[in-house]
Amino acid sequence: MRFVLNRLEDISAALVTAGVGLFVILEAGSYRMGSLTSMGPGYFPTILGWTMIVLAALMLVAMRPSESLRLPGGHQFRGMLCIAAAFGSFALTIERFGMLPSITLAVFLASLANDRTKPWVGLLLGLGTALVCALIFRVGLGLQIEVF
Amino acid sequence: MDALLSNLALGLTVALSWNGLFYCFLGVFLGTLVGVLPGIGIMATLAMLMPITFHLEPTLALIMLSGIYYGASYGGSTASILMNLPGTATSAVTGLDGYPMAQQGRAGQALFMTAIASFVGSLFGVILLAGFSVPLSRVALRFGPHEYVALMLLGLIAASVIGSGRSLRSLISVSLGLALGLIGLDLNSGVPRFTFGQTVLFDGLPLVAVAIGLFGLPEIIASSGSKTVPRVQEGKIRLRDMLPTREDWKRSAMPMVRGSGIGGFFGALPGTGGLVATFVSYAVERRVSKHPEEFGKGAIEGVAAPEAANNSAVQSAFIPTLSLGIPGDPVMAIMLGVMMVHGIIPGPTVIQDRPDLFWGLIVSFIIGNLMLLVLNLPLVGMWVKILKIPYNLLFPVIVAFTCIGIYSVNYQIVDIFVLLGFGFLGLGMRALKFEVAPLLLGFVLGPMIEEYFRRALIVSRGDIGSFFDRPIAGTILAITFAILVWAIGSKLFAAFRARGRREVQTDG
Repeated sequence: MRFVLNRLEDISAALVTAGVGLFVILEAGSYRMGSLTSMGPGYFPTILGWTMIVLAALMLVAMRPSESLRLPGGHQFRGMLCIAAAFGSFALTIERFGMLPSITLAVFLASLANDRTKPWVGLLLGLGTALVCALIFRVGLGLQIEVF
Repeated sequence: MDALLSNLALGLTVALSWNGLFYCFLGVFLGTLVGVLPGIGIMATLAMLMPITFHLEPTLALIMLSGIYYGASYGGSTASILMNLPGTATSAVTGLDGYPMAQQGRAGQALFMTAIASFVGSLFGVILLAGFSVPLSRVALRFGPHEYVALMLLGLIAASVIGSGRSLRSLISVSLGLALGLIGLDLNSGVPRFTFGQTVLFDGLPLVAVAIGLFGLPEIIASSGSKTVPRVQEGKIRLRDMLPTREDWKRSAMPMVRGSGIGGFFGALPGTGGLVATFVSYAVERRVSKHPEEFGKGAIEGVAAPEAANNSAVQSAFIPTLSLGIPGDPVMAIMLGVMMVHGIIPGPTVIQDRPDLFWGLIVSFIIGNLMLLVLNLPLVGMWVKILKIPYNLLFPVIVAFTCIGIYSVNYQIVDIFVLLGFGFLGLGMRALKFEVAPLLLGFVLGPMIEEYFRRALIVSRGDIGSFFDRPIAGTILAITFAILVWAIGSKLFAAFRARGRREVQTDG
């Protein structure tokens, strides 16, 4: 068991690679293969899938023990969550509500990733950024994004 | 000679037009601005600013995008000299001696010499680019699909294997990129592949969202929680106090020349580029120096040589991209992607068919570097002030600009989710110690490789051996296989030796 745990990083990487390779081969199987002279849409993906499986196998052969898998720490996790929320909120609100509310919300959510930023500072920053963005992109460059 | 002069004149008319000058300036300005910020590398800078260029005509777009690229490589050294926080691996080398110089109160001289060395290196690179691209493209015009497949394979494999300690992981990264490049309609048959019925995917994944996701998002997330207040080793940074001494000049002259040469050579090779060039030139200077003990403690040669090498490589990296249409590194892959978005098929024909684009670009490089000299010498104080903006207020604004940038490319919300997906893919790959740069290279080159591969086999009636019958393609493939065998072989060998040693230890 310790043998596996020590090499968890390499083993998981190889397994993921082999999995993707296998998926590519299976999916490519549903396309026409063709022959070497006139390749169908399935030919190249199949070669690629097998290449990935071979690479995964080589990786298992060459694997070495490494320090334990580093999982993201607390503040890293907070950063991921807030930044993802920021982009997600932009995507969900931009077409319905326009630039001002959408950017304000996105900047506010992103600013929460850092616990040194107080929420009201983030909100002000968001409003300011939204105004500047509206001026640059809508008024200045004339992009087809509604302001609100 | 006449041809060269008339070409340069053509380039001047393009680059000296109001638009040409404006977008060149905008590019180098924005490039320096974002390059100066610590924690944001060149790839992230380029990816984040790329959407702006999509609304321009192709020549201006490339002028601006290249400006961002070499502007960022000027700016990258500022943070590493003043704060020991390099934005890129290449500027880390500059920091080795630049930061000690700043600690000794010689920050001004280090910054001054960096700007001069960058300028000298860039100029050398541009001369190489102007001199070699045309003859190379003439040779390349006679290339068939076999040669292209071979060259692209060489580019992919060299880029992922050379200079990375984990060649197997890089190869996996490349193949993942190739697989992602498959998504979309098959060029030959029109069959949708790996789209799972989603019509949005028929055009393939959006390059901008993929690039920003892979490079920008992990950097934003990694530094979003940063609690440190920027501390800048300022010293005196007024132009008058920055002037290097006569001794500094004397010690930097030859390193700059050597650095430019080394950079120009490695930059043009597929897969090596600026990083290898800076390391090699630093090592060379330490070896030839009369006082090697000063290196790492503020030797000015250690600033001048790598900086010249880096910028020379940045410019000469355009040689294979513009003359063959084959990018040597991920940055060039992005350039290539932008050309394709604008409907220009990169390759030897571009130089013949669009001399205004090629020569306009070359002249704009020279002008852009002159602008950078101004931006980085008299105006360096401005960048130092920017370094003091607290990062926790800066990155939310970057997030906002990124959002708008991506959305404005296609006006598709899906692109934002693609960005998020690739952001987390990038984070996951980093956690498992995969590099993401080879993935992007595979993603851009994948469709082209498949296309040429299929065409080559149609031409030679399905004979795989035909690749080795042709002298140029055969030679390139032989080199590629040699690199591959060496990379994988050395990994396997190391693994077996380590295993053998451990068994001996447990026995005893």
